[in-house]
Amino acid sequence: MRLLHWLPGRLLSAIIVLLGASILIFAAVRSLPGDFAQIVLGPLSNEEQREQLRQSFGFDRSLPEQYLLWLGNAARGDFGLSLASQQPVLDELASRLPVTALLAGMAMLVTIAIGIPLGVYAGTHASTGRGSAAARIVSTIGISFPEFVLGCLVVFLFSRFDLGLSVGAFTSPTTDFGRGVVSLLLPALVLSVFCVAATARTTRDAVIGVLVEPHIAASVARGEPKGFIIRHHVLRNALIPVLTLTATITAYLLGGAVIVERVFNVPGIGSYLVLALDRRDYTVIQAGVLLATAVFVIASLLIDVLTGLVDPRVSVAKKGRGA
Amino acid sequence: MSAILDIQDVTVEYSTGGTIVRALDGASLAVRAGETVGLVGESGSGKSTLGSLVGRLLPGNARYPEGRVFVDGHDVLQLGVKELRTLRREQLGFIPQDPISALDPTMRIGRQLELALRGLPNDRAALVGHLERVRMREPERVLRLFPHEISGGMAQRIVIAMTMARSPRILIADEPTAALDSNVRSEVTKLVFGLARDAGTTVLWLSHDLRSVGRWCGRVAVMYAGRVVEDGPAEQVLGSPTHPYTVALAAADPAGVQPGERIETSSVDVAALAASFRDEEEVVAR
Repeated sequence: MRLLHWLPGRLLSAIIVLLGASILIFAAVRSLPGDFAQIVLGPLSNEEQREQLRQSFGFDRSLPEQYLLWLGNAARGDFGLSLASQQPVLDELASRLPVTALLAGMAMLVTIAIGIPLGVYAGTHASTGRGSAAARIVSTIGISFPEFVLGCLVVFLFSRFDLGLSVGAFTSPTTDFGRGVVSLLLPALVLSVFCVAATARTTRDAVIGVLVEPHIAASVARGEPKGFIIRHHVLRNALIPVLTLTATITAYLLGGAVIVERVFNVPGIGSYLVLALDRRDYTVIQAGVLLATAVFVIASLLIDVLTGLVDPRVSVAKKGRGA
Repeated sequence: MSAILDIQDVTVEYSTGGTIVRALDGASLAVRAGETVGLVGESGSGKSTLGSLVGRLLPGNARYPEGRVFVDGHDVLQLGVKELRTLRREQLGFIPQDPISALDPTMRIGRQLELALRGLPNDRAALVGHLERVRMREPERVLRLFPHEISGGMAQRIVIAMTMARSPRILIADEPTAALDSNVRSEVTKLVFGLARDAGTTVLWLSHDLRSVGRWCGRVAVMYAGRVVEDGPAEQVLGSPTHPYTVALAAADPAGVQPGERIETSSVDVAALAASFRDEEEVVAR
């Protein structure tokens, strides 16, 4: 199996990326202006009270010491207590994770289900002018529309007029999955608009690129029907750049979720992180951003494996570089 | 005996960014069933366009303002999409210059062969049989490989196997050995002509390797500036050429020169010679 030749090296580099990210996250969070003790205890507290609070949370130790302590605990799954709520960070994040995972999952599903067919259609009909121009305009609008604008527009329309779906009324997917999905439908659609447009554009370009390859010309010369050629020879080859884009989309979904959750008032990880930032809740911010990084690193790893399965040349190149 | 391939006075133009390039300028060629025709000429003379024209495989920006092409009585330029597909599938076979890029890079050889042989027996044993016909070593192993794992010579054998499996009436090979190492060239050439002879396939062999054309083709047609300027039995065309372009081409062929002899660099004058010939022609036309 070719995969086994490069997978260990790729795993190692994923761990190094995570470690590096953890240092960056720790440093970035600690360089935020504003003092936690000041915010928690309020302006009326005296220096003695603040000092006591800092000591109880270990803020009096040196930064490298704090980092190593945090990393050691994090490796064991202990992200500490939320400074604001005094609850274990892991529990706080775990209770919100299903919401964000469902939101991102739904957006990804919409992206794949609409973006790829749209791109394949636009790519295979690129020579017929009108269809391709329409696809280009739609994808340009989709790519350039920020989700907070679109989100606010949707919130306005659906709260002003009775359009069947309500905004603001949220059901947790852990209590009622079906209603949870329905209540996340609008946020997921808003979140997916950019991804659908980007996927459609990339798929279209990939299909056009594959169509001019000599092996497609060879199939045409063998008298194969168009549908047959697209099914067997175009789709798989065009999938390679689209898979690469999927890694970027994963990162985008994580970031976009923060904004969309905020706009639609969805109690997921994104809105929780924004709240934690407001409160200078270091432990929550650190754990949340590290979680997002881990999701992205794992997603990239999975996509690399998938790309290796779709394109036999990739794994060979990786193996060569590793050796 | 009537011609299986009849190209009548065809003009082909490509429109690229506002300018029109004429690739064929009244080219004619009639080939009888079973003939082996070598089509020679320098790059840009229109031989590839002529070869692709037989299957109407020219790019989308090609126009056919004049002329007709008949394959076994079918008017190729007027056929509907379905009929054209059937014609390509059942009557024509193409072998391209670069065999590796003619194979799908993401698919194992076995699967590609299987797809290409749709409608024919395409089980494992049949696939192995087709590879054995093109003298592939270890056919079982090759079926499991991807195109990037095989050599150019192997890839060309696979493409030949794919093409010849359907026993086409006409085989169009566009410089099929140009991308191969010199030591496999003659082997592949021999293979193609052997399989074509066994199947009774008519061969249109596009090349600028005059020596192999002289050796394997019964007839030679010379193209220059979008036309067939000389056409006849191989030994006559190559041995005592009449068109100035053919004269220059034959003289510049390094294969025809004795070792140690200086090659006549008349190829420099090819354009001038041919231009003068065309001028004469135009004067005659007036």
